[in-house]
Amino acid sequence: MTDARPLSLPRQRRRMAWLFLLPALAALALVAGWPLARTVWFSLTDATLATLDGYVILGLANYYWLALDPVWWRAVWNTAVFAAVSVALETVLGLAIALMLNARMLGRGVLRAVVLIPWAIPTVVSAQMWGWMFHDLYGVVNAVLLSLGIIGEPQAWTADPDLALPAVIAVDVWKSTPFMALLILAALQLVPREVHEAARIDGVNPVKVFFRVTLPLIRPALMVAVIFRLLDALRVFDLMYVLTGNSRSTMSMSVYARQYLIDFQDVGYGSAAATFLVLVIALVVVVAITAGRVRLGAEARP
Amino acid sequence: MRARRALAGLGYWLLAAVVAFYSAFPFAWAVISSLKTGSALFRVEPWPTDPTLDNYAAIFREQAFGWNILTSLTVATASVTVSLALAATAAYALGRVAFRGRGLVLLTVLGVSMFPQVAVLSGLFEVIRRLGLYNNPGALILSYMIFTLPFTVWVLTTFMRELPRELEEAAMVDGATPWIILTRVFLPLMGPALAATGLLSFIAAWNEFLFALTFTLTDTRRTVPVAIALMTGASQFELPWGRIMAASVVVTLPLVALVLMFQRRIVSGLTAGAVKG
Amino acid sequence: MADVRLCGVRKSFGRVAVIHSVDLDIRDGEFLVFVGPSGCGKSTLLRLIAGLEEVTAGDIVIGGVRVTDLPPARRGIAMVFQSYALYPHMSVYENMAFGLTLARTARETVDERVRAAARTLQIEGLLDRRPRELSGGQRQRVAIGRAIVREPKVFLFDEPLSNLDAGLRGQMRLEIARLKEELGATMVYVTHDQVEAMTLATRIAVLQGGRVEQVGAPLDLYERPANRFVAAFIGSPAMNFLEAEVVAVPEARGVAVRLPGGALVTVPVDAAGAPPGTRVALGVRPEHIVAPDAADAVVEGRVFAVERLGAEAYCHVRLGNGQAIVSRVAGDAPVRTGEAMSLGIVGRTVHLFDGDGVALSRLD
Repeated sequence: MTDARPLSLPRQRRRMAWLFLLPALAALALVAGWPLARTVWFSLTDATLATLDGYVILGLANYYWLALDPVWWRAVWNTAVFAAVSVALETVLGLAIALMLNARMLGRGVLRAVVLIPWAIPTVVSAQMWGWMFHDLYGVVNAVLLSLGIIGEPQAWTADPDLALPAVIAVDVWKSTPFMALLILAALQLVPREVHEAARIDGVNPVKVFFRVTLPLIRPALMVAVIFRLLDALRVFDLMYVLTGNSRSTMSMSVYARQYLIDFQDVGYGSAAATFLVLVIALVVVVAITAGRVRLGAEARP
Repeated sequence: MRARRALAGLGYWLLAAVVAFYSAFPFAWAVISSLKTGSALFRVEPWPTDPTLDNYAAIFREQAFGWNILTSLTVATASVTVSLALAATAAYALGRVAFRGRGLVLLTVLGVSMFPQVAVLSGLFEVIRRLGLYNNPGALILSYMIFTLPFTVWVLTTFMRELPRELEEAAMVDGATPWIILTRVFLPLMGPALAATGLLSFIAAWNEFLFALTFTLTDTRRTVPVAIALMTGASQFELPWGRIMAASVVVTLPLVALVLMFQRRIVSGLTAGAVKG
Repeated sequence: MADVRLCGVRKSFGRVAVIHSVDLDIRDGEFLVFVGPSGCGKSTLLRLIAGLEEVTAGDIVIGGVRVTDLPPARRGIAMVFQSYALYPHMSVYENMAFGLTLARTARETVDERVRAAARTLQIEGLLDRRPRELSGGQRQRVAIGRAIVREPKVFLFDEPLSNLDAGLRGQMRLEIARLKEELGATMVYVTHDQVEAMTLATRIAVLQGGRVEQVGAPLDLYERPANRFVAAFIGSPAMNFLEAEVVAVPEARGVAVRLPGGALVTVPVDAAGAPPGTRVALGVRPEHIVAPDAADAVVEGRVFAVERLGAEAYCHVRLGNGQAIVSRVAGDAPVRTGEAMSLGIVGRTVHLFDGDGVALSRLD
């Protein structure tokens, strides 16, 4: 006579657990699950913002038109370049700053506090501050570079199609490096000090110590931080929109999608763009997980 | 040897100074710019010749910035409160009861945190319109769940798991229901965790832009980020930059102060979420 | 106050059986100790009585009420945990009052009971303190106080003294004995320390591998162990076991066995099932080995180690057949390693165990 009791203790607890989960899950279903499903659905229709109820099913037509739009592919390109370059720069700079914060030097507490400032500032505010600094006529960047002779004439950093994306990347690097630095610092501080002391006693060149000893030890945490930043970068919206508006030379996939959804009110087409973005992100996640698992498997084998 | 140590120390200090300057300058420049009006903005100089607080007065007097701050405060506080309440309840189940599907739920929650906001925009828009919440702070309080909940659920679950089992059992012997155990035994012990996640969620909600831009219409209903992004000058011909910088400073100063005060908690909260994930 | 009955209680975690059908009657007012090695299931059994684990089969009855399906709070039990499990954010008073407060008991009643319990445990001065301000022994008392306040039918103790250092443990043992007298309640106590078991229990249940090996008063277990396991577990240092062979069965007087070395000794046990030629194990406690002139039989060996504890000493002797025996001698006995030693066996004080480890029943 086993689990014949209706209100057995483990079963009671399991029911209670689902009850406790319900509010949060319901909220997420309402705010994330349902809208995502709707977006995918709309991408197969010609719905508009005003007539969300009256639409015609178009099948994959929106995707077909999306694939034909050079502005879309420019947006994909912008997003990819932005993500790759800014995350790479942030990782390198973040590593440098983390190493500095990890070194036992006086004043590193102050440095850590100051370094947090860019992270504390809302993205929109950062965009405006740098937008002002990048102003072609009255911005301080042009003023300083002109006086140092690095440039011959004032540059339109946010308007010039060749300079705009680098400008956006520069702002993102400024803003997100602290986050990377903190994560890397946490990983560095988990490395036992004896490892470095042993290397120092052995007289090994500190650069070699870094590459051969430190880096491999923090690689797992570093990879996690890079993946998270990468996913964030692929979703970027605020920075580009505030700094450069809907400019084609910088617009990210999110900006493109929103423009069609809200400005042009073409919900069907905009949803297709948004769905495409979701697929890209899902792809990156899958690749990251499999790559990570493959590496773990390889390391486990003797 | 000592010379090399001194040189290394000097090099470190120099590098640190550069990094500090790089981090702090834009904000300093914003403060300087905020103290200039009119033609003074055309000049690039380390300190304004005629510092004035006109911009600060103007944004409150002419642009309802006070309303924007109030709206942001309301939305951020409310969404954090609701989020923590829902997340603590869910974390109890996820952290202390073994049930089939638990792993899947955690994975799903993590997955939601990776959505691009634009992907739920149209669907959310529909929901909000149907609930009659367009141009209402309620719309934002609701939609912010999409990023506050996954984070708080994940971190609070980690903390809940660490609480000792015998404590829960003693409460059960005392006749406590799971709700009482959560509210009167566990939550009082999770102060630091709640503070850290609450703070980080507050900052995220405060900074949010896309939803606030899309779901609000009138000036007074706008949150601070939207107001700053759309700020205009005194007239069509005047540069708005002085005011924009003033608004930026007003918003950033308390945030920077908060972050500097709680930097250790924030760092631990961030690393708990990321490293353990 | 109530009795506790376990009827055919079984517990499995998935496919692993942890408790194999336990039947036990704990009498009203008794102090029953579950004792046994790690993993024997004693804590699990306690938790089954408490209701913190659910039985896979069988029934638990407390005070005539079948509690098998009831949650812990409704079984009339109170539990003292190994780690005390005090609520860190509440004062001692609030800790002790929590259960009653949840049950919406009148404030005067709560106050009365808390203060009465505090008086019994001599912790009245600590009522406003937080657990982190208390010492281990004090926390222990608060945990006990929390249990007393519930006025339960049965007290359950889960290795409450394991986390205390040796000196404190001895002190608290006396405290618990005093409580036992004062409250006269039914208590079920789990420990791995047989000294606690022997000194506190009215009856001891020895467990191994999820089964009850023997239940009885402490002295009963000491003088009449039902099998080898109980014989070896109770008493410290452990009983010695010698290989012996049944030689003859003198009528009504017991069984005669041949010891290693050839000596014969008669043990007053029932000869049924032990005809001459049966191999048995002869169990003799270190404290029951005597000088050769006072013995019924003698085995010879050589001392290979001597442990002197001051009041007594333990000689480790290796017999001719290679086996090692421990014998207790006076603290100042002039024994040296390497010496030959004769160990005296008295038939009345030894035990015989058959091939399955079951003790041959005694005739006296």
